[in-house]
Amino acid sequence: MAADPRDEFEATLDRTAEGREREAGAALQRASLRRDAFYRFIKNRGAVFAAVAFVVLLGYVIVAPWVSPADPYAIDFSKAYLSPSWDHPFGTDEFGRDLFVRTALGGRLSIAIGFAGTIAIMIIGILYGAIAGFAGGWIDNGSMRFLDALYGLPYLPFAIIVLAIFGTVSFWAMVVALTVASWFTTARVMRGQIISLKENDYVRAARALGARWHRILFRHLLPNTLGVIIIFVFLELPGVVLGEAFLSFIGLGVNPPKASWGTLAQDGYTSYQAHPYIIIIPSLAIAWLILSAFFVADGLRDALDPRTKET
Amino acid sequence: MLKFIVRRVAWTIPVILLVILMTFVMMRQIKGNPFQVTERPVPESIQRNLERAYHLDQPWYVQYAYYIKGVALFDLGPSLVQRNQDVNDIIRQSFPVSLQLGGFAMIFALLFGIPLGILAALKQNSILDYASMAVVNAGYALPNFLVSTLLIYFFALKLRDHTGFPTNGWGGWQSWILPSIALGHAPMTYFARIVRGSMLETLQQDYIRTARAKGLRWRRVVGLHVLRNSLIPTVTAAAPTLGYLIAGSFIVETVFGIPGIGRYFVTSISGRDYSVTMGITVLLAVIIIVANMVVDILYGYLDPRTRDERV
Repeated sequence: MAADPRDEFEATLDRTAEGREREAGAALQRASLRRDAFYRFIKNRGAVFAAVAFVVLLGYVIVAPWVSPADPYAIDFSKAYLSPSWDHPFGTDEFGRDLFVRTALGGRLSIAIGFAGTIAIMIIGILYGAIAGFAGGWIDNGSMRFLDALYGLPYLPFAIIVLAIFGTVSFWAMVVALTVASWFTTARVMRGQIISLKENDYVRAARALGARWHRILFRHLLPNTLGVIIIFVFLELPGVVLGEAFLSFIGLGVNPPKASWGTLAQDGYTSYQAHPYIIIIPSLAIAWLILSAFFVADGLRDALDPRTKET
Repeated sequence: MLKFIVRRVAWTIPVILLVILMTFVMMRQIKGNPFQVTERPVPESIQRNLERAYHLDQPWYVQYAYYIKGVALFDLGPSLVQRNQDVNDIIRQSFPVSLQLGGFAMIFALLFGIPLGILAALKQNSILDYASMAVVNAGYALPNFLVSTLLIYFFALKLRDHTGFPTNGWGGWQSWILPSIALGHAPMTYFARIVRGSMLETLQQDYIRTARAKGLRWRRVVGLHVLRNSLIPTVTAAAPTLGYLIAGSFIVETVFGIPGIGRYFVTSISGRDYSVTMGITVLLAVIIIVANMVVDILYGYLDPRTRDERV
């Protein structure tokens, strides 16, 4: 077995008393850093409020369709366009369907698209940015120039063309279209993170000890960007949800009777003169999500990196 | 400085070529036949003649070369669906409208966003600060289509007798106000946020303390030192603002029935009018790329420290 001596050296280091001690110290430090961040977040009343609002919205979206007696797909024209009341807290639509349940179902779809898109954006962005930043030199240069060119593409037309390539609008078509049109910022930020982390002494130390590139990247660099990644999840999620709503609103959304917040808003738009509440409710749900996610991200940034605290 | 400008301008050419190539490659993936949109089948010989007339029978790189040549000569080719119209005609008709709308929206955003940010920063943590930030956050979170619809609902329907605003169309100053506000509100909140953040940072600088310490009147400090230095970063806000305006114009033009470029884009996609879709995407991309270039050059002029980093 021709093991790389450097790997072996590193493995023995891990086994030695010194290595164990170092590991323990690292774990201790990591835990306290996280606990620190957690306390800072808890103390930030605005951020906690936003987090609660975010959870409440998720709770409504998940629970409402289970507990509500109304059938979201049953058509009953005798109940069309009922204004909000006890029986129908959000009123009913043109087919007499209960909007309290339909808004929750729409939210499920919108938020699911949001999370799927966000995860895809994170994976692509992190890989692209980390590789560019870590490799440096012409790889970094080339990939950043390519990213610059992508920044020239207009967001919505780009997403619409990708959607058109799929032909029919489906969950995954939507996710792919929105991901392809919006992973650039994450990639750029990740590259910046990796480049600044790369210069740290502990990376130099790891390198001096003979750690190979993948170990440095996955053990030392990426874990340290976790804070930024979490913040970016909360920044990208509302963007994807809003993008979906925009596409749905101009008629490129999922097919009825399924609904997302965007298609519900589009339904509401067709009858806004007589029944404005139908467009207001899904739009406010979107606004709720955007605001709560934004303030959670803001609070997380302050908590994880007190130095960059915005005055 | 001259070297910086030349390099920055020269750099846009490969970017534009790459963006056109990417759009071109993606457009070719869209299925469907622009000559077969009606019920009546087109005979094969005519189909082949049409393909030859539009160079669709050539390999893709020849088509790409034809297209680049066209773009260089400001000729985006004929519409594939509307036989008697060129893409240039369509853009000539619809683009001025979109440009006007975008211009008015931008004026609205600057006129209200910058003062709002300045006020909030100067009276930090006062009622005024909180109130204006509440407005900004609400405006940031509310989706474009809700703002558009509510503006129409209240100012063009409920208060019609007082305002005289029409609900749709584009002609005369009365029809310009509501769409401009609807499109401008998102960039407005963006400007307010940026100006506030940058003002607060400037206010903490040592040279501000020096200016105050030497007995300069506060009003003069603000006018001479704070405003000048803190408005520079707003220049960089131009790029994301342009993105907002383009994406938003799709919605606003749809809601207000404005015959602008966004509406043509949506119809061209569903009608498989490739050349119109391409033409509009390329036009928007070139606008974004040139705008980014202008911003970089302007910023390099205003803040010479950034010159080296940006090329």
